[in-house]
Amino acid sequence: MKNTAVKILGLALMAAAAASVGWTADPARIVVMNPQGIKPEIRKIPMAARPASLDGKTVYIVDTKYPNTKPFVEELHAALKAKYPATTWVLKDKIGGYMDDDPNLWKEVKAKAAGAIVLVGH
Amino acid sequence: MGVPAVPIITARFKELVTTISYKKGIPNMRITYTPHPITDRPAELCRQYVAGNDPNSGQPMLGQIYAGLSRPLSAEDGKAGFLPREARTRLLPPDTPEKLMEYFHEQGFTDGNPVILPTEEKVAEMLKATSRQPDEWVGQMRPSPPHEAWYYTVEMVAVNAVMAGAKPEYFPTILALAGKGVTSMFSSTSSFARMVVVNGPVVDEIGMNTGIGAMGPVNRANSAIGRCWTLISKNLGGSGKPGETYLGSQGNPLNYNNLCFPENEAGLPAGWKPLHVQKGFKKSDSVVSVFSGWSMSDIAWYSPLPIHEVIRGWLEHFFSFGTTQATLVLDPIVAADVAANGHPTKESFAKYLAENTGTPGWLYWSQNERALEQAKKGVEPYAGWLRQGEGAVVPVSRYTRSASAGRNPAFMASRDSNETSTSIEIVVTGGGTNTFWSGGDFGYVGSASVDDWR
Repeated sequence: MKNTAVKILGLALMAAAAASVGWTADPARIVVMNPQGIKPEIRKIPMAARPASLDGKTVYIVDTKYPNTKPFVEELHAALKAKYPATTWVLKDKIGGYMDDDPNLWKEVKAKAAGAIVLVGH
Repeated sequence: MGVPAVPIITARFKELVTTISYKKGIPNMRITYTPHPITDRPAELCRQYVAGNDPNSGQPMLGQIYAGLSRPLSAEDGKAGFLPREARTRLLPPDTPEKLMEYFHEQGFTDGNPVILPTEEKVAEMLKATSRQPDEWVGQMRPSPPHEAWYYTVEMVAVNAVMAGAKPEYFPTILALAGKGVTSMFSSTSSFARMVVVNGPVVDEIGMNTGIGAMGPVNRANSAIGRCWTLISKNLGGSGKPGETYLGSQGNPLNYNNLCFPENEAGLPAGWKPLHVQKGFKKSDSVVSVFSGWSMSDIAWYSPLPIHEVIRGWLEHFFSFGTTQATLVLDPIVAADVAANGHPTKESFAKYLAENTGTPGWLYWSQNERALEQAKKGVEPYAGWLRQGEGAVVPVSRYTRSASAGRNPAFMASRDSNETSTSIEIVVTGGGTNTFWSGGDFGYVGSASVDDWR
């Protein structure tokens, strides 16, 4: 008798708990775990302030050297020179392959240029 | 860089670039797009592209570039801070199993096939197979170097192991694989594949198949462990979203299972070390070894030549993206034939192959521009090789370490140190029903202890 009372009390408590969370009240619904990992926070990077004009300034065109894209890079360089002659357009190859970093070039750009155009394949 | 910049990207990658610039913290990056592709296009066509419009914005390309470098910033563009990102919950909202399965497919949590829904009970059962704590960090993984890395715990790996249909006893092997932090779905337009070879006592303990059909879908452990790597890569490593975190133009069917199989150590000829012993582990260690490549061919071929000569000939003419590396998966009876033909170790056979294979002329000249220039100027030995014609074999191996250095696209998974002198790996598996073997452009990436995760 005592056991039966305990069982009834237990069932009542379980039902109350289920109703309170609302999740398991419907036996057809189940709860599963999230399969995804943890994504990092995204720290916003302020963009560099733009000059009012590029006249009299230097802009680097950085070729990351994706295979067989040199004709495009050279045509872009020529077209910018022709359209905006008051700006000095400097064509520079990044060292290594297209996925290699070139910290020295980035330092040079920062020291000498008012802006940079960076070309990536394909 | 700290100076105004405008990236120029081909139009096909707008989705990729938009999401990456957001994740890098520059959501309003001033990008100019060109028609796609620009590689291998003649100067005249490139001139038209440059004189034309950005195909995405419809604005003249040159004017847009100039404006991108000189137009004043908005107040928001100049601000620091954090960008919004959805919070992760440990549990998903409840629903019926059918709707949850659809939700998993819609969210890209699956490989397109049904999964076992990861209830807390099933995950708890999986976690019993390791001494590690559920909240312990396992590692980080990213789709490719420009992408962000995601992080994951033992429990998160267990969720994916349940989904893949793994038994709890497979879990330490899966954790070892996850701990390597190498995605199985590397994001490159070239549709990479991966391979995982299991060695040591764990192979028998969990019932992996080293015999007939070892590389096929006939064994639960081989299948579930390999499949789980791709679920982990997608869900814990952020890989596999077409256009954003996966760019393989045609995709690669090997990604379904990642060529997961154990080495048939009992079938190794006397003197041939198991793969994990070659990589510095003890024979009694249980180990997973990861490879990276693109393709694997089953070579069913009879020849009056000794089999090691057939393999040498195949390697000489084999061509795919990974032209400077190869992995041979030999059936035990092929390995026995090779050993009987004077190759007492895997290493000596690999060395023989590397030293006795040349390179087809058309391939050699397409990869060695300077040598071609020298040949055309009459400089020997190049000129003599070129006179033989593009169909002739140039006596330069592409499988020595010096030949493959810096040219091997498998660098895209960072490698463990590798003491071998060639870029040829040899693994033995299979049931000995015929003298067949497999070969492909896979290179060794690294190994990890399973025992560390028990």
